[in-house]
Amino acid sequence: MYKLTRLVTLTDSASVSALADEIRVLAAAHSAYRQLVAPTHAGSHFGGDLLAHFSFDAEVQCSDFGAALAPLLATPAVASVDGVSYQSGSGGRSDPGLANGVYRVLLLSVDEGTDPALVAHFEAETRMMPHYITAIRNWQLSRADDAIGARRWTHVWEQEYADAGGLMGPYMMHPYHWARIDRWFDPECPDRIVDARLCHSFCTMEASVL
Amino acid sequence: MTTDDTAVAPTVHAIDEIVAKPGEGKALLDDYLARYAPGARARGMVLEQILVSPPMWLDDQSNTLVFRWSLAGAGAWWQMRFVGGNDPDVAAWWADADARAVSRRRYFASDPADVERLCDV
Repeated sequence: MYKLTRLVTLTDSASVSALADEIRVLAAAHSAYRQLVAPTHAGSHFGGDLLAHFSFDAEVQCSDFGAALAPLLATPAVASVDGVSYQSGSGGRSDPGLANGVYRVLLLSVDEGTDPALVAHFEAETRMMPHYITAIRNWQLSRADDAIGARRWTHVWEQEYADAGGLMGPYMMHPYHWARIDRWFDPECPDRIVDARLCHSFCTMEASVL
Repeated sequence: MTTDDTAVAPTVHAIDEIVAKPGEGKALLDDYLARYAPGARARGMVLEQILVSPPMWLDDQSNTLVFRWSLAGAGAWWQMRFVGGNDPDVAAWWADADARAVSRRRYFASDPADVERLCDV
């Protein structure tokens, strides 16, 4: 599966709905296998006003759609865009039928030049989060092929929850997160390899997109 | 998630273990206390213990310094993390300290009796 995500910050957040409608129509015209275009929840951090996420069967479909989407996001109504295109990485689904839940994506940037063995270690530990934090119903960790925005995003960490409480509660407060995984992100820890600038964005979803 | 909101959050510990460059142990300890500790306290950390190994100041070999801090639960940990992680003075301190250290570890821990409650989220 080939995927594309855009986190769109608008100059006037009142225009979210109209832009979302335009993007949905465009994605349908490009035969997106799955799409999720929704306003972000409060609590997102550098996550934009609008989260737009798409899956395609073929790489060329994904790249064609990205090219078609770009002009829509280059208008004065759009203040900034962070985004990635990527091929699905490894993932898991404990609740593939999850409906009316919350989709969350984290865009992160591992420092250039980081030892590949360390990157693999970070990825392996991250992939174990759903094992310890069962509020994560469905998930996927991918490496970005292309990135736009504030950083050279290298990874896409997606999760789905039954509700926002799963993200704000168990995900954040479980010791596997703060006492294990976070050292890769924490500027006070010598193990840090991830840039402090992150895009943390979440929104309501009608059906699973992972 | 626990439903007893009145319960005191289990204490968590942040432990810094710094192996100083030979002859740097005492000066690094003094700087840690002068430059890092005040800000850490302001971020809610309580300095519980300092250990020096071996218990003498070496001038041609490394001393290992261990600092054990406590925090009032995972919520306090995140508060410390968000503030410290966005403070350029903290980053500058660690860059300086790392230049004077052979190696450094920071890890987080709890009393074994608190593991179950910490995981009940």
